[in-house]
Amino acid sequence: MPTNVLVATTGRETGSATSRRLRAQDNIPAVVYGHGMSPVSVTVVRRDLRIAVSGANGFNTVLSLKVGNDTLVALIKEVQRHPVKRTVSHLDFLVVNPDEQITVHVPLHLYGEAKAVLQAGGLVDPAVDHIDLVTTPNQMPSEVRLDITDLQPGQVIHLSELTLPAGCTAIGDPDMPVVIAMLGSLGAPARS
Amino acid sequence: MLMPRKVKHRKQHRGRTTGMAKGGTELSFGDFGIQALEPGWLTARQIEAARIAMTRRIKRGGRVWITVFPDKPVTKKPAETRMGSGKGSPEFWVAVVKPGRILFELSYPSAETAREALELAVQKLPIKARVIARTDEVI
Repeated sequence: MPTNVLVATTGRETGSATSRRLRAQDNIPAVVYGHGMSPVSVTVVRRDLRIAVSGANGFNTVLSLKVGNDTLVALIKEVQRHPVKRTVSHLDFLVVNPDEQITVHVPLHLYGEAKAVLQAGGLVDPAVDHIDLVTTPNQMPSEVRLDITDLQPGQVIHLSELTLPAGCTAIGDPDMPVVIAMLGSLGAPARS
Repeated sequence: MLMPRKVKHRKQHRGRTTGMAKGGTELSFGDFGIQALEPGWLTARQIEAARIAMTRRIKRGGRVWITVFPDKPVTKKPAETRMGSGKGSPEFWVAVVKPGRILFELSYPSAETAREALELAVQKLPIKARVIARTDEVI
């Protein structure tokens, strides 16, 4: 059972006006579904959510969600945000089995300094910032790390060339560019 | 300057800019961006001025995305003309913007320079806007 515990209060009224009142009291309206259960409208306290997702995995954290008398293993499936304040306005929790395969959206983290590219006046352009992986909640990585130290100008790293953590498979076109080392263009203006 | 190549109708009503942006409120391409905080019209000239201000600051080695497009024609009657005799002629193009809309995105290795460049671009806009980064996550 995951260690990140989040309490979801059931029995909330649905509707935009009620949800607005809940948000004013620092509660976030949410819904729990998955594994054949009928969707349950719940509320989580904003502060508790902040604590629960403050780890390395962020919003990809596997949560131990307390819904009424039950404790469910759940993931945050979708986050809706206020367009201006950017605060979380609604959450979807997906109930999962810790050993079943699921699709997750994991950030791609580039590390190292591509000296050859920078010396040539080029730019390391990450074509994507997240990668979709098929994995089990138990083996879900917090991020996919890619070393770009040996990157050469003009080189392209494709999805199939990534070294993924154990138990993970990338979804998508294997020839999809993940990182592009753009050719040197000293003095050339920024691209737009 | 940005403008449509071809339009179905040459003149449009002014419309209303109420509410908040329904889409385009998250960064999609770059790590930094400019987000509108109030509604308004951005002319093609203002968009171009902001782009130039930004690209001059980052000089080279960055990438800029303009995520709004001025697709609305604005008409004007000539000076000292009597009222009536139909709608004026199209004079310039604007992008209709609502609060929350991302206007520009920028990818640049140095966060400090990227923010400086975007702050310069914000000064060229007729509305209140702020610089946001992908790492600024609020719960």
